[in-house]
Amino acid sequence: MELPVQQFRTKGEQAYLDMFDQARDALPGARDPFVSGLRTKAIEAYARLGLPHRRIEAWKYTDLRSRLTDTFPLLSAAGVAVGDGDLSRALGSALAALPAYRLVVVEGDLRADLSDLSALKSAGVEVLSLARGLEKPPSWLKKVLGQVNPRDDDAVLALNTALMTGGVVLRIGEGVTLDKSIHIIQLDGTGEPASTVTRNVVVAEQGSSVTLLESYGSLGLRGLQRNAVTELSLGNKAAIRHIKLQRDGEEAFHLATWLVRLGEDARYDAFQFSLGAALARNQIYARFADEGSSANISGVFLLRGRQHCDTTILVEHLVPRCGTRELLKAVLDDESRGVFQGKIIVSPGAQKTDSKQMAQGLLLSETAEFDSKPELEIFADDVVCGHGSTSGQIDEDLLFYLEARGIPEPEARALLIQAFVGEALERIEDEGLREAFAAASSEWLGVSFD
Amino acid sequence: MIEINNLHVNVEGREILKGLDLALPQGEVHAIMGPNGSGKSTLAYVLAGKGEYEVTAGTVTWKGRDLLAMNPSERAVSGVFLAFQYPMEIPGVATMTFLRTAVNAVRKARGDAELSTPDFLRFVRNKAKLLKIDPEMLKRPLNVGFSGGEKKRNEILQMALLEPALCVMDETDSGLDIDAVRIVAEGVNALRAADRAMLVITHYQRLLNYIVPDRVHVLSDGRVARSGGPELALELEESGYADFGGDAARDEAASGAAA
Repeated sequence: MELPVQQFRTKGEQAYLDMFDQARDALPGARDPFVSGLRTKAIEAYARLGLPHRRIEAWKYTDLRSRLTDTFPLLSAAGVAVGDGDLSRALGSALAALPAYRLVVVEGDLRADLSDLSALKSAGVEVLSLARGLEKPPSWLKKVLGQVNPRDDDAVLALNTALMTGGVVLRIGEGVTLDKSIHIIQLDGTGEPASTVTRNVVVAEQGSSVTLLESYGSLGLRGLQRNAVTELSLGNKAAIRHIKLQRDGEEAFHLATWLVRLGEDARYDAFQFSLGAALARNQIYARFADEGSSANISGVFLLRGRQHCDTTILVEHLVPRCGTRELLKAVLDDESRGVFQGKIIVSPGAQKTDSKQMAQGLLLSETAEFDSKPELEIFADDVVCGHGSTSGQIDEDLLFYLEARGIPEPEARALLIQAFVGEALERIEDEGLREAFAAASSEWLGVSFD
Repeated sequence: MIEINNLHVNVEGREILKGLDLALPQGEVHAIMGPNGSGKSTLAYVLAGKGEYEVTAGTVTWKGRDLLAMNPSERAVSGVFLAFQYPMEIPGVATMTFLRTAVNAVRKARGDAELSTPDFLRFVRNKAKLLKIDPEMLKRPLNVGFSGGEKKRNEILQMALLEPALCVMDETDSGLDIDAVRIVAEGVNALRAADRAMLVITHYQRLLNYIVPDRVHVLSDGRVARSGGPELALELEESGYADFGGDAARDEAASGAAA
């Protein structure tokens, strides 16, 4: 006899189901069977999974179900006025000033008035707002949307697919290289607490080479629950530098997922810089689909107060001769908490895999915490895989050396923190970007060195 | 210029300096010699203000001030410089950034204007040339991957840039071949000046062939056991430290491990 499953749901969990029911007919692509099919499947997956909690291994240190009790309503685009001064305040002056092709997304809405759409078009990059892409999806978009690196076990991703309303869709043409970065700037607006659910889809065709910078910031919204997903497909021999600045407001929840698929001989260099939000979860799922490719993923957290930031990376080696490098540097002050989970799966056929992970926490106070969990699942026998993790305080001997050269203690400490972070920044190839992030670190530290 | 009276210092609860007296007048170069464990490096660290060295008795008067009441960076800007026996490696800090931060911190504290980038580069290049330091080396992270000789030359470069009034050199010759000793010694001799005092700590007489001291003090069991002119160093070369609670043969074997 079949009994109906009676599932207990928290108020927060139920709120998302209600939100979907109310919004579904008005969501972009509601009349497109492909898009509405994706959404229905996703909300069903969410209903089955519920919000992730600490008894789910991948969410052991970030109990979203207990943190997400109040759910904010979906944002609706309202044409907020945004000037250069706003960008500078939201992103910090160094990042806002970077020369780039800008795509500015305010409250999920791709703003043509603030974006370099025609310049990108003539450089060989096709750009659509997500909403337009969903209303009438072109065939190339249908091939990738929700399919770059699909997962059915991730409730945050499922919610994003069900509720995505804004963001951008990009197709970087075959062999296209750009003289500047593409800078996707996502800002939430002002006013009452709200949820914003965005999806960026990027297809990098064969042989293209681009720096894609994503910045997330706040124009002063009182509370923000952000769920942002980027799907990125790298074609054969494509090379993408994928960089993120997370500077959401101090009360914000920042849930972000990158889904990446690498073709043959592709190169993926990712870097994430997290400063903002009360709670941040950066998920990166990367999958090697063809041989000879490499992924280099690094990140920096700078946290204070009671901030919580979690970076969880899952890299799947399905084919031979691919390499992964991961490096995370967490600077943790006050009662902040940094989490790194890095899992690398090497499938039976993935011989000659070469992977290394390193996570390092620098604790500036007795009450800060760093949790690091590297995991390797290796099913092939001819591989090189290593991982390491350290957690410690500022080295007193190094501090003394600097002080003995006349550098006052606070400045010496800042220099050492900068140096700790610097090892991760060195992985950013582009000098201008590297310096912008170094400047952002200095700004956080309240000092400047040259 | 600096006067040390009855200095007692504990390290991890153990007394290392046991009533050390020493006076170093302006413009003079004094050598501190002694067997391993006699307290030579402890003296160097205490003068620079290292944290875990606990002064239990005694005074150090520096330019009329109480040196022991000053924190390490205050000592440095007031003109005390310690050339480390084991200079620290700091990955992620470019040597040039470090030098510039240090020079400007010291200039600022002394009431001088900070140097502009071109002026600073010129200043460093000139000093580096004297010490045969390749400017490329200064672009690398501080002391990371430097040879023993490069590290020591980098210490002397810092000394030249910061223009201290008191130079304390802790076994600057250790681990160097004879050519490197000569380069380092030339760098030091170029800094000898009427308004500058130097304390050269060394286990071996060898360095003192190149940096000829005005006085030599032999440390033994945390005190100055004997003082004399430069000839005292030569005498020790002959007889070893056997008369000072050390054993020449043992010291030879253990010299690399001197604390």
